[in-house]
Amino acid sequence: MTTVLKTEDLRKQFGQLTAVDDVSIEIDDDKITSIIGPNGAGKTTFYNLLTGVLEPTSGSIWLRSGEGDELADVTDAEPHEVAQAGLSRSYQITNIFEGLTVRENVRVARISHEGTRLDFRSRATGDESVEADVEELLELTGLTDIADTPCDTLSHGEKRTVEIALALAIEPNVFLMDEPTAGMNPTEVTEIVSLIRELDADLDATFVVTEHNMDVVTDISDRIVVLAEGSILADGAPEDVLTDERVTEAYLGSDSV
Amino acid sequence: MSATDTGGRVSRFGSAVAEGWTRERLGLLGAVALVLVAFAPPFQVYLFTDFLVVALFALGFNLLYGYTGLLSFGHGLFYAGGAYGIAIVLRDLGPVIADVVGAGISPLVTFVLGGVVGLALVVALAVPVGWLSVRLEEIYFALITLAFGMLGYSLIIQDPAGLTNGTDGVIVLLGTVDLGGFSLRIGGRRIYYAISAVTVVAAVYGVWRVVNSPFGTVCKAIRESPDRAAALGIDVSHHRWMTFIVSAAVVGIAGVLRAGLASVASPGLTHWSTSAIAVIATVIGGATYFYGPIVGAFIFLYIRWAISRFPALEAYWELFFGALLIAVVLFFKQGAVGGLLLLRDRLFGDGDADDAGSGGGGARDDGGQATAATDDGAESGDDNARADRGDNS
Repeated sequence: MTTVLKTEDLRKQFGQLTAVDDVSIEIDDDKITSIIGPNGAGKTTFYNLLTGVLEPTSGSIWLRSGEGDELADVTDAEPHEVAQAGLSRSYQITNIFEGLTVRENVRVARISHEGTRLDFRSRATGDESVEADVEELLELTGLTDIADTPCDTLSHGEKRTVEIALALAIEPNVFLMDEPTAGMNPTEVTEIVSLIRELDADLDATFVVTEHNMDVVTDISDRIVVLAEGSILADGAPEDVLTDERVTEAYLGSDSV
Repeated sequence: MSATDTGGRVSRFGSAVAEGWTRERLGLLGAVALVLVAFAPPFQVYLFTDFLVVALFALGFNLLYGYTGLLSFGHGLFYAGGAYGIAIVLRDLGPVIADVVGAGISPLVTFVLGGVVGLALVVALAVPVGWLSVRLEEIYFALITLAFGMLGYSLIIQDPAGLTNGTDGVIVLLGTVDLGGFSLRIGGRRIYYAISAVTVVAAVYGVWRVVNSPFGTVCKAIRESPDRAAALGIDVSHHRWMTFIVSAAVVGIAGVLRAGLASVASPGLTHWSTSAIAVIATVIGGATYFYGPIVGAFIFLYIRWAISRFPALEAYWELFFGALLIAVVLFFKQGAVGGLLLLRDRLFGDGDADDAGSGGGGARDDGGQATAATDDGAESGDDNARADRGDNS
C-alpha cells in the first residue's frame, strides 16, 4: 500500500463561504475511493483544488509523481503541471474534443504524454509508437469500432468512455472521476461500472470517484469518504460509513431514513 | 422507372468524378493553372497576384482562428511589419548592398535580404505581442489584438524614429537585376507574379504541414476545449503563444509580398480595416477548412474587381460585402467551401460512408444524414429524390 495523493489542511474560501474546510486525506493505491456528499458539500471544489484549477486559500497537496514512493508538492501547480505530474480527471459534464474523431482525441493525449506537441514537422499520424499506443487504448476501452467517428455524433455513454480513454492516455497515477454515471441510462451505468472495475484491475492508476448514484458507490468502492459542508464527516469501509447515522442524516436528510 | 435510371447515372457519374479528383490530379491542375495565369493580360496577372497574397494573409490568420480558436483583429500589424521590413531595407540598405555585391545583382540580394528582415521583424513583434495577447480569450483577445494593431498604426504615422515616413509610407523600388546580357525587372508584373506564386505555394505547403503535425493537432484540441487540453498536460497559453508566432510569421511573408506588389508600404496595412480583410475572407471561405481562407480571398478579390467594373456600384462595394457576409453567417456557417462540399454531397452523394467521411468539418454531418436516408428509405424512392436534386441544382 502506497499513498498516491495527500492533502494537508486543505482549505478554500470564497469570501465568507468556506467551500473546503481544512481537509486532510490520504489516498492509497490499493483501493477505489469514493468521495460522496450532498450537493454543495464541496466535492467539485475539492477536485478543482486537486487539479490546480483553483488555488487553495491554505493547506497543501501532495502527489506521487513517477515510479517512486515520494510525494511531490503540487499545491501551486497549474492544471497542465498537475496532469504532467500524474493526476488525470474526468469532468461532471463530459469534456472531450467534440470536433475531432475518437482516435484523434486519444492521439492528442498521447502527443501530450510523449512531449511532442511542439513538433511541427512530422505528420501527426506518422509516429508508429504513438499510433500503437492509441490503438491499444481504444482496444482497452472498447472504442475500436467507433474510432473514426467524430465525437459530436456519439451517444452520451460513448462520450463518457472517450473521456475515460483520454484521461488514461496520459498514464496517470491517480484518476479523479467526477460523477462518471451522471446522465446515463441504467444500461450505460452497468457498462461504465464494469469498465471502471476492469480498468482498475488492469492499470496502475488509482481511481477516485465522486458519485451520486449510491448503488454505484456501494458497488465499486473499497473506501468511502463523506464530505459535508466542506469537511470530512466520515471515512472508512462502505459497510461502516453507510450505516453511520451521521452520514445518513447529512447525506439523505434526517427524514428519509 | 426512368427517374431511377437517371439517379443511377448521377451516382455513377458522381463517384467517377470523386475518383478523378485525387489530391495529385488537383495539385497538377493547380500547377497548370498557376503557369497559365502568367500568360494572362497584365492586369489579370496583377489581380491574381493580389489574390495569392491576400490568400496567404488569410491562411496565416486562420491558423490562429480556425485551428486554435483565437480571433485576432490585429493581424494587419504583422502584414505591415513584413511590408515595412522589406521597404526600409530596400530604401536604406539598397545603396550599401550595391557597393558590396555590385550593382548588377544587388536588387535581387536586397530583395531577398529585405524579405528575411521583414520576416525577422514580424517574429520579433509577435513574440511580445503574442505573449501578452494569449493571456486573454475570446472578445478580450480580439480587443487586445485590435489595440496592438492600432498602436502600430499610430506609431507608423507618428514615426518617432524617422523610419516609416508617416502617412505617405515607404516607396518600394525593386529595381532591375542586370548581369551583362541578362536583365530582369523584379517588379515586372509577370516576374513578380512568378516570385509570389512560388513563395505562396511553398508557404501554403508549410502551413499544411503544420496543421497536420502533432503541433497542429494540439491546436485543434485547444480550439475544441482548452480546459480538457490543460487537464491532459498541455500548456495551453504556451501553445497558443507559439501558434500566434507561426501565424504572424505566415502573415509577415504575405506582407513582404504585398510591399513589392503595391510598390509601397503604407500605414493602412496595420489599420483594423486591413485586419478585417483576413477575417472576412476566412469567414466567407469557411474557417473550418484548410482551403477556406484561400477560397474566401478569391471570392473577396474577384467580386470586388467585378463590382469595380461598374462605376455606379463601386462606391458601395463594402455594402455589398456586408450583405454577403450576413448571408454567409446566417445561411452558410461553414462558408463557401462548406457550401460546395454540401452541394457535392447533394449532387454526387451515393451514401458512401468513406466518401462522406473524407469531407471533414461541416460536410461530415450531411454525409451522415445521406447515409441514414439510404439505409432507411426504399431504394428506388431514394434514387428519385437524388435525381430530383441533381436536376434542380
